[in-house]
Amino acid sequence: MSTDATRSGGTAPMRAFLEGGHALAEGAIQAGCRFYCGYPMTPSTEVLEYMARRMPQVGGVCINVEAEIEGINMVWGATGGGVRSMIASTTNGMSLMQESMSEMVLGRVPAVIVNMGRGQGDYFQCTRGGGHGSHRMIVLAPGSAQEAVDTAYRAFHLAEKWRHPVLIYGDFMLSHTSETVTFAPPPDTLAALPAKTWVTDGARGRKPRLLTSLGMRLEGESGSGPAEIGPGGHSGTDTTRPMRDAVARHREIAAVETRVETAWLDDAELVVTAFGILGRFARYAAKLAREEGMKVGYVRPYTLVPFPYDTYAEIGARGIPVAVFENNAGQMVQDVRLGVEGRAPVHFIGEISMDGSGFGVGPKIDALHVLEKLREVHPRRGAA
Amino acid sequence: MDATRNGHDAREYKSDLKPIWCPGCGDFGVLTALTRALANVGRPPHEIALVSGIGCSSRIPGYTTAYGFNSVHGRALPIAQGIKLANPDLLVIAAGGDGDGFSIGGGHLPHVVRRNVDLTYIVMDNQVYGLTKGQLSPTAALGTHTVTSPEGSLEAPVNPLLYVLAYGARFVAQGTPADMAGLSAILEEAIRFPGFAFVNVQSPCVTFGAPEQQLKAHKEGLKQLAKIDYDPTHRMKAMALAQTYGRELWTGVFYRDPSPPPTYDALVRERQRALAADALPRERILELFAQHDGEPGRAEA
Ligand SMILES: Cc1ncc(C[n+]2csc(CCOP(=O)(O)OP(=O)(O)O)c2C)c(N)n1
Ligand code: SF4
Repeated sequence: MSTDATRSGGTAPMRAFLEGGHALAEGAIQAGCRFYCGYPMTPSTEVLEYMARRMPQVGGVCINVEAEIEGINMVWGATGGGVRSMIASTTNGMSLMQESMSEMVLGRVPAVIVNMGRGQGDYFQCTRGGGHGSHRMIVLAPGSAQEAVDTAYRAFHLAEKWRHPVLIYGDFMLSHTSETVTFAPPPDTLAALPAKTWVTDGARGRKPRLLTSLGMRLEGESGSGPAEIGPGGHSGTDTTRPMRDAVARHREIAAVETRVETAWLDDAELVVTAFGILGRFARYAAKLAREEGMKVGYVRPYTLVPFPYDTYAEIGARGIPVAVFENNAGQMVQDVRLGVEGRAPVHFIGEISMDGSGFGVGPKIDALHVLEKLREVHPRRGAA
Repeated sequence: MDATRNGHDAREYKSDLKPIWCPGCGDFGVLTALTRALANVGRPPHEIALVSGIGCSSRIPGYTTAYGFNSVHGRALPIAQGIKLANPDLLVIAAGGDGDGFSIGGGHLPHVVRRNVDLTYIVMDNQVYGLTKGQLSPTAALGTHTVTSPEGSLEAPVNPLLYVLAYGARFVAQGTPADMAGLSAILEEAIRFPGFAFVNVQSPCVTFGAPEQQLKAHKEGLKQLAKIDYDPTHRMKAMALAQTYGRELWTGVFYRDPSPPPTYDALVRERQRALAADALPRERILELFAQHDGEPGRAEA
């Protein structure tokens, strides 16, 4: 905490040695987040505790809320009022917030929501969600403390660019791994954002605005609000419009915002893939495999939604088998299969690996273990 | 010492799991007092359901031989109601922490009270979040310093006694493990009470709690209602007394309805009995939907 990062202002890059969770929190503050709330649950408590100390110093608000449902709805309100706002939660708390998150997609409320999960068992929850109404999130999965900082910037950028909530998915290991991080000066990614023409910040001198997911729009309200003006100038209601709009928006988002990290694909005979901080284990295992003569490539999706299907489609087209390493019972593997389109074998090499507390840092999260698995599924198995 | 007049023994109600609470945690005392109370009540363990949410205190079901479980954070009360309404013959107890009961689960409290489901709710109130390591709890005093309120909290605490009374609860009491005999007597009375009974137990967290909330302080400041001339049959008097929450430690029964009305579960059973005669045989069930006029299901038998 007693780092350069605790001093705000100035334009020089700040360097600090921080845990991933704290790095993400500070990144959010640097990105202009001024409203934060959370309900304790390991490992998102770390973000809450950091924000509790830090927010008042920068003129922001941090509240230890009554529970996650209160929290997500406060964030809805704060964002709707035009303030960059964030909530972090964990696994169970994320389940509770699904209803509001769905409505915030349809109502186009650009908040940032963080799931510091336990293990990677929330992949389906984050990418599909337990929510309703044709909604999809934008989901980013940072793999290091530095990327957590950059992801905080990017999340607020994407949220306001697309007027869309953004979900950041990390885990205990990311939250608790301390690394040196650099905070770029006032993030230029956040400079040229669209004006907030949707903010409900008092209608004196202009037409009122309505931030809603219900397909209603105030008469004469401009912009891409989810409503239509009925015959005779009365505002009508098209209740399917927010959903159809959300689906269309996601196609646009997928076209330009998909991000993926790859390595050694050119000559790969096998590709290992993982998301989040487990990507580093996969990448290192691929490197070790190469030292043994196995030509292993590496893919780490950074945007889980939109998922980099094209990258896997190319791998599939070349018939290269893919090994999917996740700390769960096999979730992202389904997206990989969708991407590969049946044209190459897809092996699931992960498993649920927990410590005694169930926080998701078990013994199988180990590059040598991944390497062993790669040996098993390598097409020239035994020959290497 | 543990054997009771009805031949039951508190040890019957303690499981062989060793609690992983911190040494000195108030919850040990609550467990002992509860098993003593259960022995006195005398229902066999297999007729008792004990359900909790999540928290240090919510581990309590595992340390007893009653049926029960840790559920999810804040939901002990709806689950307990489900148990009682589906299996009215069970003796149902819900238990958990102040965070579990008054923060995340706070919304359930008015409804169990107004329904008056026959169950006992024991809150181990330590004014802090134990399990998650010391964050601000809804019963913490204004200005409390915690990891999530480093400069002191800005919000006033809830007053569990006062608001449960205000919702209309018919049995409201407070105890502390600093007075074990008193605590098990209160718990026993609560369990025997026909209707929803609420017991707030001041159960100190030795690891994250404030010094003035520890057992030593309780022992010094304890004020027992049993020792004064207090009549617990007046709700308004009880509410006046409940105002002292957070300042004084009164233990005993604050309020007990002298003529408790039938419980929700009893009313449900009464209604079931009343309507059973009207039930259509299975092969005529469609008639229920065919009748647009008149009362469905009341066709000539
Ligand atoms: C939905 C959800 N949010 C958060 C948590 C994390 N959590 C577990 S227990 C707890 C609070 C513990 O405090 P309290 O209920 O007062 O019980 P104590 O541990 O003090 O006995 C929290 C926040 C959770 N399990 N589920
Ligand atoms: S942390 Fe506090 S409440 Fe939890 S077991 Fe330890 S003393 Fe008890």
